[in-house]
Amino acid sequence: MDVSNILASHAAKYQSVTVEKETSLDVDVGYLTVVDPNPIDEDSYKSNLEEHLQSLARDGIQSLLSSLFTLPTKSSDDGPLAQLPPPKIQLPRAKPLPKPKPPTKWEQFAAAKGIQKKRKDRKEWDEERQEWVNRWGKDGKNKQTEEQWITEVPLNADVDYDPRKVAREERKARVAKNEKQRQGNLARAQGPSSSVADTNPREQRKKEITKSLSSARISTASMGRFDKKLEGEKKIRGVKRKFDANEQPVEHEKNASLALLSKMESDAKKTRAAPPSGDGVVNVRKAVRFASKGQGGIALGRESSGGSTKRKQGAKRR
Amino acid sequence: MRPLTEDESKTLFTKLTNYIGKNLIHLIDRKDEPYCFRLHKDRVYYVSESSMRLGSSIARPNLVSLGTCFGKFSKSGKFKLHISSLDYIAQYAKYKVWIKPNGEMPFLYGNHVVKAHLGRITEDTPEHQGLVVFSMSDVPLGFGVTARSTVDTRKMDPTSIIVFHQADVGEYLRDEDTLF
Repeated sequence: MDVSNILASHAAKYQSVTVEKETSLDVDVGYLTVVDPNPIDEDSYKSNLEEHLQSLARDGIQSLLSSLFTLPTKSSDDGPLAQLPPPKIQLPRAKPLPKPKPPTKWEQFAAAKGIQKKRKDRKEWDEERQEWVNRWGKDGKNKQTEEQWITEVPLNADVDYDPRKVAREERKARVAKNEKQRQGNLARAQGPSSSVADTNPREQRKKEITKSLSSARISTASMGRFDKKLEGEKKIRGVKRKFDANEQPVEHEKNASLALLSKMESDAKKTRAAPPSGDGVVNVRKAVRFASKGQGGIALGRESSGGSTKRKQGAKRR
Repeated sequence: MRPLTEDESKTLFTKLTNYIGKNLIHLIDRKDEPYCFRLHKDRVYYVSESSMRLGSSIARPNLVSLGTCFGKFSKSGKFKLHISSLDYIAQYAKYKVWIKPNGEMPFLYGNHVVKAHLGRITEDTPEHQGLVVFSMSDVPLGFGVTARSTVDTRKMDPTSIIVFHQADVGEYLRDEDTLF
C-alpha cells in the first residue's frame, strides 16, 4: 500500500513546524518578540507583497510559538501557563537618569577627608543585659539613663540635680541639632533662590539688619553725607524706578487706560455704596448742617438736651 | 518722555473725570487716530501716536513740548489742569456755565465768577463739580469748580461766588513763560 500520497497531502495541510532561514531568527521570549535579520527577498516582495508578508509573519510566529512550548510550564485554573524568562533586549529608558542628590555638608567633609561611610546596625549589644537592644526608638539605648530606675549622681552635683532630666535634655538637643543641620542641607540643596531667603529666618534677620543699618546711616543731621565712612562701607543704593517703554504700541496703553478707568468706576461705586445715604430724598448731611446752623450733629444734640449758654453765644457771634 | 505710571494715570483720570465724566473714554479711545498721554518734565501731553514717535527721536533736554499740554504734576504728586487742555475739555464738558459779557473780563483776569455775572448754568449741577465757563456767544473761556449746587444758587446774593476759578484763557498771556 502506497501512503506517500496521503502523507504528501497531510504535509501540505500541516506545514512543517520548523522554520528554515539562512540566518536564524532572534527570539526574545521575555518580550514575546521575534526579529528577522534576514535580507528581504526582492523577487517575492515585488511579485506578491501580500503573500510575502504573510509567509514572513508565519515564520516569525511559528518560531515564537515553538520556543514558547519549550518553556517550563505551571498549571493553573485556565490551563498550563508558560513561565517567561527575563527579556534579553535592552530597551532604552523612557525618562532621563535621576540627578544625583547634592551632597550634605557632612558628605562633602567626609569626601575631603577620605572618611569611609560606616553602616551602623539598628541594634546594639548590651553588655549588662546580654542581649541586642534598639539603638534608638522603643526601649532605645539612647534613652537608657532616662529610663533606668536608679542613676549615679556625680559627687559635686547640685541639690536639685536630676540626672534623668539632664540626659533627656541632652538627647533632645542632639535631635534639634540634627534637624537644624538637615534643614540647612535642604536649603543648600535648593540653591540661593529668593524663596529660600524669604523662608529662612536667618536670611530674614539678615535683611532686617541691613534695612535698619541703612536707615540708621541716613538718620543723621546731614542725612549721612558728612559721616565718617567705615572701611569697606558700600554706598546705599535705593530702589530704581521702572517705567514702561515709550515705544510700545499705543494699543496696549489704550487698553490699560480703559481697564484702569473701568476699575476706577467700580471702585467709586463701591465706596459710594459703603456709607448708606438714607432714602436719597433728604440730604442728611445738609439737613444736619441746616438744623444745627453749621455746627454739626453733636452740637445739635447737646442743644436739644438743654446745652450750655456759652455755646449759644458762640453761635451768635458767628 | 515716557508713558504715565498707573498712579499717575489714576490721578490724571480722576481730575479729567471731574470735568468731562465718562466722555474721557472718547479721549483715550479715539476713532480717527490713536492718541496717548505722555509725561515729559512733569507735564502731561496729549499727543497723537505719530507725533509721539517723531518726538521720541529728540533728546530729552532739547524737547520743549509736544502735542497738547494737559497740565502738570506738582512735586507732591497732585495734578493741575492747564488752560491748554480747554479745547478738549470744552468739547466733552458735562456741565457748563455761561457768563454775561460784563463778567467776562473779571473772569479772564483770574477772578471767581460771582452770581451777578452768571448767565446760564447747566441744570442740577452738584456742589464742587468741575465745569467749563463759556461766554454768552459760546466761546470757551476757562474752567472752574462750582461753589454751590444749582438749586442752592437761587437764594444767594449777587456778590457771592458761584464758580471758583481754576484756569482761564487769560493765562496764555499772564503765564506765557511757564505754561507750556
